[in-house]
Amino acid sequence: MVTAEVETEQIQLIKGDITLLEVDALVFYAEPNLELGSGFGTAISIRGGPTVKKELERLGPVGTGEAVVSGAGNLKASYIIHAVGPRFQEENTEEKLKTTILNSLRCAEEAGAKTIAFPPMGTGFYGIPLDLCSRLLVELVSDHLKTSASLKEVIICVQDAREFEPFRKELSKVTG
Amino acid sequence: MKKSTAEESRSHKAQVVVDRLGKKLNRQIVGSMVACVHCGLCTDSCHYVLSNPGDPTYAPAYKADRIRKIFKRHYDWTGRVFPWLVGAKTVMTDEELEELKDISFGKCTNCRRCSLNCPMGVDFATMNRMTRGLLVSVGIMPEGVATVSKDQWELGNQMGVLKEDYLETLEWMEEELQDELDDPSAKIPVDKEDCAVVYSINPREAKYDPRTIGDAAKIFHAAGEDWTMPSDGWDMTNFGLFSGDDELGGAVARHLFDRVQELGGKKLVISECGHGYRSTRCEAPNWAKYDVPFEMESSVETMLRYVKEGRIKLDKTRNSKPVTFHDSCNLARSCGITEEPRELLNLVCTDFREMYPNREENYCCTGGGGAMSMSEYTPRRLKSGKVKAEQLKATGAKVVVTSCHNCVDGLTDVIRHYELDMEVTQLVNLVAEALVIEKPARVPTVVEDLPLAGRRIVVADDEPDQLLYLATVMEDYGATVYQAASGDEALTLVRKEKPDLVTLDLAMPGRPVTEIYEVLRSDSELEGLKICIITGRPEMRELIYQRMETPPDGYLDKPLSEDDLLRGVRKVLELSHQEV
Repeated sequence: MVTAEVETEQIQLIKGDITLLEVDALVFYAEPNLELGSGFGTAISIRGGPTVKKELERLGPVGTGEAVVSGAGNLKASYIIHAVGPRFQEENTEEKLKTTILNSLRCAEEAGAKTIAFPPMGTGFYGIPLDLCSRLLVELVSDHLKTSASLKEVIICVQDAREFEPFRKELSKVTG
Repeated sequence: MKKSTAEESRSHKAQVVVDRLGKKLNRQIVGSMVACVHCGLCTDSCHYVLSNPGDPTYAPAYKADRIRKIFKRHYDWTGRVFPWLVGAKTVMTDEELEELKDISFGKCTNCRRCSLNCPMGVDFATMNRMTRGLLVSVGIMPEGVATVSKDQWELGNQMGVLKEDYLETLEWMEEELQDELDDPSAKIPVDKEDCAVVYSINPREAKYDPRTIGDAAKIFHAAGEDWTMPSDGWDMTNFGLFSGDDELGGAVARHLFDRVQELGGKKLVISECGHGYRSTRCEAPNWAKYDVPFEMESSVETMLRYVKEGRIKLDKTRNSKPVTFHDSCNLARSCGITEEPRELLNLVCTDFREMYPNREENYCCTGGGGAMSMSEYTPRRLKSGKVKAEQLKATGAKVVVTSCHNCVDGLTDVIRHYELDMEVTQLVNLVAEALVIEKPARVPTVVEDLPLAGRRIVVADDEPDQLLYLATVMEDYGATVYQAASGDEALTLVRKEKPDLVTLDLAMPGRPVTEIYEVLRSDSELEGLKICIITGRPEMRELIYQRMETPPDGYLDKPLSEDDLLRGVRKVLELSHQEV
């Protein structure tokens, strides 16, 4: 685990399964139709139970860059922020990803969340480069925490050493 | 640079594909792009063509030309100068990319039979895999491919098996095994460190066919193997092989390899899976740019090795139905594992008969290392299985064995569709069935498993019974023991044998043990020697501890139980407390 302090708030980088975290809100990188699908969606469906999917039926569809909040069913988290980010090398990926992250943070604040967990946004299946994601996420989260209303702790939850390293590098810039 | 009119009207995705194609070119791909002379020999190699003789769009050369024309238009001078002459043509729209998807995913299983039979060395399967990768990178792929890819990216296995379900399955299989063998020592160890074997599986086993895990565990147990299964990074399949996504290929491989290293495993054994073996053993080190420091082998090789080393005994009469063998494309054609399964089959069943053609010339099961995930192509896939069905039927066998999980499902579909009277199984099932296990089940006796294995110890005591007791216990736990009845004898043996440890009784005839101790401590050639005092006279302890020399490394009071002796000796030998 790596921790960075921003003012009095914290950014933590951990390895683990984001759907098992006990946080106020966790971010799910969603499809525009808000179908949970496979991957983390499988974990949310199975561990969270059917209520999440049911709630999502009235929330979608959602445009790229936007985010919406649902309950988290039986998960340890209280809310899920469904963030629809850019996918598969689409145009203006960086700008869209930035908007997606900012909207996720906005949703967390509106829900009064004190803790939020982010996955590596859009990396892996959706093809966002890890370097781009780690730079944007750490930058935007650090900036946000300087003036945050309710958020006290942001967790970046990665799966393995391959994902951990780029985020660690970016966090080291925050801690100086 | 100003964009041309064509570039301006090309869709974003098509432009990305064109650009990315240039980055994927290497000698092998370019050779395959330019070498085809359209001789047609590949046509007779393809099971799609053989099962659809009236449809030329299945011909490998035709399919290859769909991507070749883009290469020629953008990356070959002939196509740039004389596009009309060499059939060069760019791609402009998302609809054209969809057509490419239909060919690349829906009309080829990448079985490589045409690649093997091309006199010009055109490797269409590699070209096709690259094409799939280009399409996946812009999000154009069959829904099933997307589902499986996302599962493997985010959950670490391609069937979305959650960790708790996987671990529960292992516990269940362990209980079944213990019940079957009536032996509580039969285990499926999870995350055990420093094992000889780390066993990785296809998630299909955890999800649909756990008996293969139970059977493998039975074989490892019978062989006395020091083995484990990881709780994470346990999936040895790699959907990047099928989807053409090299990034996924590298990420999955790195996760698995890192896990084996964290566990300190000496060898990674890959369960019976062609896709898994090829991707992990042959392709993944390149995708992940990983210098793999441990050995890897297919469980087929492992099982055969156990038989040859006499670690397991088989009774082949237990598998008496007529059996044939289906060579997996990935295992046989791409990795050359053709003889090991046959050698094992002849040891494990009474009536093995070949299928023709076989080995690297065998026809695809239609599963294609992942094709089962694309339900929209199932009717085509089953139709292409006609040639496979004819092959199977001609053997007259009642059982078809294959060392590949995709093939198990592909063959099962073909058998059902063509109404053949056959069942599909794997070598692990046959070997487990034929295992001869004498009760009580063989406990691990491999020397490396014993707690004092490899340790050399001189034991000195003037009481013959005590000496025999101490020596016997240590030998039983794997140590090589030298016995001495006096201090001088001990000194002679230590200088001769250079052991790891000498144990000294304090009251022995001859020279005082304190003097012997001083000599041992002052001898520069015995610097690493550990000394442990074992005495029934604790009042004499100060004779040693008040001396100038370094105190003993350990001290044990007699009488000593077997456990106390072992624990004390291991501690002195500086094994970790956890191990003790």
